[in-house]
Amino acid sequence: MCDTCGCASPSTPESRKTLDVHASLLAENNRQADENRHHIEHMGAFAINLISSPGSGKTTLLERTIERLGGELRIGVIEGDIETERDAQRIRAKGVPAVQLTTGGACHLDARLVHHGLHELEHQSHHHGFDLIFIENVGNLVCPATFDLGEHERIVLVSVPEGSDKPAKYPKSFTSSQTFLITKTDLLSHFDFSLDEAKREAVRLNPNLTIFELSATTGDGFDAWISYLRQRVG
Amino acid sequence: MHEFSLAQGLVSQLLALADQHNALKICTVRVAIGSQAGIVADSFAFGFDVLSRENGLLKDAVLEIIETHPQHRCLDCGGIMPFTLTKPSCSQCGSQRLASVGGDDLILSQIEME
Repeated sequence: MCDTCGCASPSTPESRKTLDVHASLLAENNRQADENRHHIEHMGAFAINLISSPGSGKTTLLERTIERLGGELRIGVIEGDIETERDAQRIRAKGVPAVQLTTGGACHLDARLVHHGLHELEHQSHHHGFDLIFIENVGNLVCPATFDLGEHERIVLVSVPEGSDKPAKYPKSFTSSQTFLITKTDLLSHFDFSLDEAKREAVRLNPNLTIFELSATTGDGFDAWISYLRQRVG
Repeated sequence: MHEFSLAQGLVSQLLALADQHNALKICTVRVAIGSQAGIVADSFAFGFDVLSRENGLLKDAVLEIIETHPQHRCLDCGGIMPFTLTKPSCSQCGSQRLASVGGDDLILSQIEME
């Protein structure tokens, strides 16, 4: 029915036009992410985006990794958190440049924030270049999976206390990652965590996942993890 | 909660398109959201409602969300079949090496404007 006088004419006025857009709502983020990837390659580096729930050991993994690789590779870290500089301070204490991005409430990092982080990281290192850049995302197993940051590899972590049902419950983080780290394996005897279930569910979602089992406390699994990183950077 | 920032992105895209096409108002917005996109459609719609109310060009806009679904692709024989969460195996060769493809769309497909 016509909106103006109530007659039987079709309500769609002739002035109405339809426009096919077919553009991703993430187009702007993805454009910036590609730019970040070029920027990182120009720096000569390989970049890894770490995704997990809060408390699954991302920062501790980085500390142990820097202890093992800091002498041979130029490592830089971008830390994402809602508030505080704490994680960046922990990384800097290991002698490596670290930039803290605080999202002020947002549940994920996006490519624009990481763009600023990369410039700040270069500034801190006096433009001496990097071999390996870690981007530690905001602790959250849901939202970060949607946002490309310009990384070359995405790694998802699940710690033993969280439970082996995480891959099945949070599939996007596993389908969009290339590598899956099971952390805190020294706690396996204290928790009802099935390595078999976690790995089976993760591979069911993403058959190409590379999986490592790690304990930052005992050092178990770190030899394989460190040689994997050497190979990725090399 | 990233639905709100995605809705903000949509609003900016719509305002730019309206400007480009000299539209006075946007009537309908059709968005495709995949069931595996990690987006809660209701939260996204809520975010869009809150933001569009504030803007004369968008205040009467109707958001239509089309849900898209993934499929399984067999990594051994290449066969494509419907996505299922329960112990999937390839309907053609029986392989269990299946990758989910698609269903993660987040696309502004079409708008109607005056």
